[in-house]
Amino acid sequence: MNDAPYLTIVVTGRNDDFGGDFNGRFFRALRFNHAQLAAAGVSHEFVFAEWRPIDGRHYLATLLAREFSDLGASGLRSFVVDPLYHDALSLNPRLAYQEFIAKNVGIRRARGAFVLSTNTDIYFGRGIISRLAERALERGVLYRAARHDLKATIDTTRTDWDVLEDERNCEIVNAIRPPYFTNASGDFLLLDRESCHELRGFNEVYRSAKIHIDGNFCMKAYACGLTLVDIGGVVYHVGRGTLHAQVGLYRGRPGEAPWGDIRWRSDVVYNNPPEWGLGLAPELPLDAHTTFLPFEWNAVGPMVALKRVVLPAVQQGMG
Amino acid sequence: MAPLSDRSSVTSHDRTPPTVSIVLTGRNDDYGVGFEARFFRTLRFNHRELTSRGIAYELVFIEWAPPQDRPRLVDRVFDAVPDLDPGVCRWYVVDAQYQAALSLNPRLVYLEFVAKNVGVRRAAGRFVLTSNCDVYFGRVVLDALARGSLMDGVVYRAARYDLKAEIGDGNPGWPEIEDPANLDGRPRSLRPPFMAGGTGDFVLLDRGTFHEMRGFNEVYRVARIGIDRNFLVKALSMGLTIEDIGGPVYHVNHAGSYRLTVHDYEGREGEAPWGNRRWHSSGVVYNNAPAWGLSEAPQRQLAKGVWFLDFSWDAVPPLVDLRGVVLPVSRLGGPRPGRYVSRM
Amino acid sequence: MKQTGTFGFVRVARYTEAVEYQKKAESRALRLEQQLETSREQSRGWKAKADQAHEALKQVQKTAAETRQKLERAEARAADLQVLQQRLAESERALTVAREQLMAIEVKLDILEGAANVLDARTRTVLMRRTATERGAPV
Repeated sequence: MNDAPYLTIVVTGRNDDFGGDFNGRFFRALRFNHAQLAAAGVSHEFVFAEWRPIDGRHYLATLLAREFSDLGASGLRSFVVDPLYHDALSLNPRLAYQEFIAKNVGIRRARGAFVLSTNTDIYFGRGIISRLAERALERGVLYRAARHDLKATIDTTRTDWDVLEDERNCEIVNAIRPPYFTNASGDFLLLDRESCHELRGFNEVYRSAKIHIDGNFCMKAYACGLTLVDIGGVVYHVGRGTLHAQVGLYRGRPGEAPWGDIRWRSDVVYNNPPEWGLGLAPELPLDAHTTFLPFEWNAVGPMVALKRVVLPAVQQGMG
Repeated sequence: MAPLSDRSSVTSHDRTPPTVSIVLTGRNDDYGVGFEARFFRTLRFNHRELTSRGIAYELVFIEWAPPQDRPRLVDRVFDAVPDLDPGVCRWYVVDAQYQAALSLNPRLVYLEFVAKNVGVRRAAGRFVLTSNCDVYFGRVVLDALARGSLMDGVVYRAARYDLKAEIGDGNPGWPEIEDPANLDGRPRSLRPPFMAGGTGDFVLLDRGTFHEMRGFNEVYRVARIGIDRNFLVKALSMGLTIEDIGGPVYHVNHAGSYRLTVHDYEGREGEAPWGNRRWHSSGVVYNNAPAWGLSEAPQRQLAKGVWFLDFSWDAVPPLVDLRGVVLPVSRLGGPRPGRYVSRM
Repeated sequence: MKQTGTFGFVRVARYTEAVEYQKKAESRALRLEQQLETSREQSRGWKAKADQAHEALKQVQKTAAETRQKLERAEARAADLQVLQQRLAESERALTVAREQLMAIEVKLDILEGAANVLDARTRTVLMRRTATERGAPV
């Protein structure tokens, strides 16, 4: 692939107004990040995985393509996943959205030399942009970035460097530390594509929770002998997130939380099957930007695969 | 006729878009005693001065919830101001049910800034100037409009000078308006960064930015006082510059005006007809809904340049939209735009 | 010739020379003695000065020790002050955040109160109409 971009940015979402004005927040952040990357000369593509779309509403992928028609078919690629996959894969009926399996769908299909898994409302800081512009990222290194949470209820009509970098707007810094560099890791995980495929993406074996699946990936990467580093730049997010806002509601009943039981042993890792990321799902192009993944049982692995639950101390290599 | 959509053309006249849209609102309810006469006098003056300087402008007038038992202003204005070319006017009469449906305070009898938003949303001019019916534009203001050197992204403000009520009884000209002896109280100056003070009498901004802001606050409909100042806080939060245009506008005092009656409600601010002035207009801003300015209101043409906005619940924003209540952001090198004022 | 103590004989010139030499030697010895005494004096003086310097050194060392203690106490106070300043800055920041949250909440409460009253008024109107209809009274 001669025209393969340097970077693929993978995000997931759907048209459900999650967190309020989800689409507006998504589009603003994407517009900002795209502008900064383009200005810095970083060749990139966005891969959007729409998981469990809401019946009766436009696909968010369709609205995205309309809003960002300037990105072209190579700049923006979306995969809409048949909602039946969610039901077939779920091991916890309270989990409304399998965020990390959705991201795996995108990661598996990324074309960039490096793959950045992040979220729809994340703004990349200057340090990250300049690091990417150097084109000196190394293979076998998992790059992490600290997330700065801006105050939740600020005016976001015009979000630019003056707002992001003014510390008066910052509520908290989610610091990251070796060796695992967890803490809001789902917002910034950057790794070369080959290593992503060696690790086989995020944990698809443990599907009872989505909380800590990102930190679990960091453990997996570490256990597989990858180097984990702080990239030297930060990302920005408005507010401290839905989890932080709601975690107190489930303190006395963690098993009922919509993100799964927070107490699960996320330091135990996994070996995903070869068909990770719905690799066997058929693909139907909907338009220049969008591909639909219709449901097929063939693409759904076993409901339970206990042999794929492994301890992190052992060097996993290519399992 | 279909409601106004985000991307539809706002002009109904086949002509080049004007340099400035002047947005005013009012109705024939004898507000402040002799409202109609005051309005027509001011309009005659401003129209004469604008046209004599060759300023291409349109008048966008919002006749908000007019009383049923009186003639509408639109039916009298062209007789009262014969020089006023209907071709430069667009008049919107808004169904009175919108006042009841939108108000969150029964004492608020006129949602002035929602009305102005109706005009801002529909303005065709490159720049939009929101003002009031009894405000005379000063020379510096007129010259600035004539020069055509206004910049995008700048909120232009003008200090408001209050004139003695009796000045408005005749047909004042420049000698009466500019005579310091006719000032009612010390002339105020505008202070950075907010440049507040009589803000509702003069806000001038390019249409694109005005639309990006989505006009004045439609989320907080419990008061109309402070909504203009709140606009300035939002502007600073967005990183806009607020500038003094360099000269004043003149307001003729009259019975019932805010400045003359504000102290009548000391200790019972909640009963004031403009709402409680102690709400956090300096500290909290807003994100209006995409359908701001009653953009979804069905409108039918009554006459050339005159429309009626029929009532439809589809056009009414949610009664409560708490997500639209946001804090202003600080910007590098700029002042903290929000200001805490205790309500105690 | 002159007789020497051991019945030796020496020439006058040489005798004179020897006497002269002896006188000079005695004079020199005297001078050296005087010099020695002076040196002893000076030495005693230097010793006294050394003693004084030693005393002064001890005093300075004592002062230095006291000053060091004062400095350490001052540094500790400065560190405390820095901690206090940091806490003050954090408190001010927390106060600002709290005030901002309070403002936003008060505005939201205003809106909610207004909305509740509006809905209350609308509901009453509907209820009153319904009641009037049920009674057959004109609405």
